[in-house]
Amino acid sequence: MTAPLLELRGLCGGYDPIQIFRDVDLVVGQGESIGLFGPNGHGKTTLMKTISGVLEPWSGDVIFEGQRMNRAAARGSRRFRNFNYDAVARRRMDPKEVARAGLIHVAQGNLLFPEMTVAEVLSVAPIAAANRQGRDKAMRFDVMALFPRLAERRNHKIRYLSGGERQMVSIAAGLLAEPKLLILDEPTLGLSPKLRIELCQSITRIKDMGVPLIVIDQDVAFLSALIDRLMLFDHGHVARTLDRSEIPDHDTLMSMLFGAALK
Amino acid sequence: MISLDTFVDVATGGLVLGAIYALMAAGLAAVWTTLGIFNFAHGAFIALGAYIGWQISDAEAAGMGLAAGVVVATTALFFVGVLFHIALVRPFERRADIVTASVITTLAGAAICESVINLIWGPRSKQLGQLASGDVNFGLFQLPSNDVVLILVVGATLAALGWFLGRTRTGRAMRAVSQNREAAELMGLDVPRLYAIAFGLSAAMAGLAGIFIGGIRFMTPTMGTDPLMKALIVVILGGIARFVSPIYAAILVGFVESFCNFYVGLYWTPAVLFLMMIVVLFLKPSGLFGHHQRTL
Repeated sequence: MTAPLLELRGLCGGYDPIQIFRDVDLVVGQGESIGLFGPNGHGKTTLMKTISGVLEPWSGDVIFEGQRMNRAAARGSRRFRNFNYDAVARRRMDPKEVARAGLIHVAQGNLLFPEMTVAEVLSVAPIAAANRQGRDKAMRFDVMALFPRLAERRNHKIRYLSGGERQMVSIAAGLLAEPKLLILDEPTLGLSPKLRIELCQSITRIKDMGVPLIVIDQDVAFLSALIDRLMLFDHGHVARTLDRSEIPDHDTLMSMLFGAALK
Repeated sequence: MISLDTFVDVATGGLVLGAIYALMAAGLAAVWTTLGIFNFAHGAFIALGAYIGWQISDAEAAGMGLAAGVVVATTALFFVGVLFHIALVRPFERRADIVTASVITTLAGAAICESVINLIWGPRSKQLGQLASGDVNFGLFQLPSNDVVLILVVGATLAALGWFLGRTRTGRAMRAVSQNREAAELMGLDVPRLYAIAFGLSAAMAGLAGIFIGGIRFMTPTMGTDPLMKALIVVILGGIARFVSPIYAAILVGFVESFCNFYVGLYWTPAVLFLMMIVVLFLKPSGLFGHHQRTL
């Protein structure tokens, strides 16, 4: 039996000293795409940042393709809490290693590198893949065909792009890293309805090209068309998991999360 | 009225100083923008570069010529810079107080470096040879070949740095890290390695500046202190919005210093420069040539 693509075991984390999420167990099978849905401020983004190693997990494991991404030994003795272990540069989790393993996180509202041009950003993006052992050479993406708008904008600096164009550059950069699993954190946040539809179509095409996704979004209709399973995230843990066929409409989903009283 | 010859001499002096300050300031800014810290050991790197250059080139020591001295000194300083980063800055990564912590550690590094120079080469001042001898004739006036070569070498070095940052993948990655560390990490860039390279390049440029300064002034273990202060003024004056901004400011400071030395008096120059700096800080705190936040 092959190992699942991504497995979280009892993952806890947050911004020290405030715990944001607790005991998250999650298995993403090979070739499976999942969605994450839940109210704002309940830890979805924090969880994703912990999976990709930007934040340290407090306890639990992140296992990608059978390989544990966080180093052994939990948080250590509380006696030494004031001593900064990171200071000795022994991070328990290294975002570089995670990205190079093929787990690519397109962060929420990613501002990227304001003073670099689109072409420059896209030329740096394949570094994560270039350092990977045994990479699948067939997995190449024509990001300019996926986002024709970027071809027109290739010599523009990121700071002069619109929010939607920046999001396109972020996703394109993520694809150039040849992801085995792509995390998209609210990719359509703050976009105009027209651009939103355009981007949703592009994301669907990315999935059709065979890239497994973890997508956080507020649009239930979009998610249910895209993903295989939906996790309802509430108060820092996975409240429920729904198969694609079980996903109800937005209102029903909200009442599942908050109770019928809100309706 | 002053003669053309005097004017040309003073202007050339200003351009030479400006070139050296530009070299220093670009190195200082490379670390500042990328790591977000100020490297107080930059002055000690200047002295170390000059002394290593002397050890290789001078007839009293190895006597292999100045070109060999330049190559060995810049290469050695690159590794010294990497070492300084690993030993003095990296241990404080991700600590909230890294800026203050690195002030102390780089100051300590500077003190150690200067003491080591004193221990090896002694306190007696030395001088480096000239890059070239004779004069270059420009028709109306003549310039010392040494000055011409120096300005050309600095120009070429800065152009190479610009090419590295703009065209190569490592250079672009370095700019990426300086502009958004988290996004760079998520892209799989090796941030500590890029920091070390930035530190090494910065030190190598300081070493080259040291060799130039050693040919103009006497070398002492603390010879880097004054140029470091000037480079700091340059960085504040020019801003560090783009990597060329401190270069313009460096040439400006070089001219001001040279003309002020000649027409007003040597002892007034620091006061004039600091006045300029204070005025700029009042009117345009982001620097004369900058309008956005720190980036490379």
